[in-house]
Amino acid sequence: MPVILILRRQEFQLEGTLSVKDALKQLDLSPESHLVVREGELLTENDSLRNGETVKIVSAISGG
Amino acid sequence: MTTMICHTCGQKAVIRMRQHRLALCKEHYLEWIIDQTQRFIEKYDMFNHREKVLVAVSGGKDSLALWDVLWRLGYQTAGMYIHLGIAREKEYSTLSEQYARDFAAERDLPLHMVNVQEESGLTIPELAQVSRRGRSKPCAVCGLVKRHTMNRTARELGFEVLATGHNLDDEAAFLFGNLLSWNIRQLHRQSPYLPEKDGFARKVKPFCRFTERETAAYALLRGIDYIEDECPYAVGSKQIEYKNLLNQLEEVQPGAKLRFMLGFLQVREDGFFPPEEITEENLDLQPCPSCGQPTTSGGLCSLCRLLENARPIE
Repeated sequence: MPVILILRRQEFQLEGTLSVKDALKQLDLSPESHLVVREGELLTENDSLRNGETVKIVSAISGG
Repeated sequence: MTTMICHTCGQKAVIRMRQHRLALCKEHYLEWIIDQTQRFIEKYDMFNHREKVLVAVSGGKDSLALWDVLWRLGYQTAGMYIHLGIAREKEYSTLSEQYARDFAAERDLPLHMVNVQEESGLTIPELAQVSRRGRSKPCAVCGLVKRHTMNRTARELGFEVLATGHNLDDEAAFLFGNLLSWNIRQLHRQSPYLPEKDGFARKVKPFCRFTERETAAYALLRGIDYIEDECPYAVGSKQIEYKNLLNQLEEVQPGAKLRFMLGFLQVREDGFFPPEEITEENLDLQPCPSCGQPTTSGGLCSLCRLLENARPIE
């Protein structure tokens, strides 16, 4: 079971236990402009994501 | 990897801010944002508790978080929402408005509404269509209408101060764009605090030292519902390109955005830019004969000229 990450209704899947920092890196998302949330709890870049869980990625960038 | 610890209490941290060498738990992060906001308000002498503050809210994270913080700090605040009539990919403006309405209702705070289509007969995308300013992208027209409407509303309703949710990323990207084209004239107008002058309301940006990531974290941790979708017209904008570039730099040089912005404010204060009266070419502000807002044109202001040329789209 992969880790499922959802960013603005788009779903990504990553295999294996990995840190938030590594997950963002694999998805080519800047940690300076993205937050990762698990069941309403904000995760730091050191927190681990486990196989089978679903987390939400929040993009912090806005403006036009 | 080791679990990050809150520097204040030793509990598990929820956020780390590398530029400040600081990690905090939820409770202390929420406190930190409020304390820092109060510090910025005092540092730039933005306003006091006796003055009425109109907070321009878009339904997004920055402006709603700002309103929440000012409300918690006990300031006299009301919100203003401008319905822009943006409807591409769902009813973006209507959805945004609902977030602003819900926020105000939950806290029993007054919210003033302005609807661009009701006032001018056209939505922002329609106004852009009939303008030379932005047939392909309505951002310039949108900015013009918002600036005009915010100033007019603040003055008409008797607010001493107009507060916007501009954050460090907004300010750094704006500065970067203006430096890229050496637009010195604009640099004079970029400030956390602009005093009331010649028909312009006092304008303040209490969140100007927080990154977007920090304001988003505040909104999430505080449980503020906001519109997460981006304005459909902002996709691919120059400002977002600049923000991405600056964030790439921030990843390898923590604090780069803050140094860039604060350094600019310092060198300007130290007199390293030409005095405003030189770059402003002794601009003489006159009230627009149509709307009364200050303008340098000697006739109708930019918005009234735009509206005069606009014809409702069949």
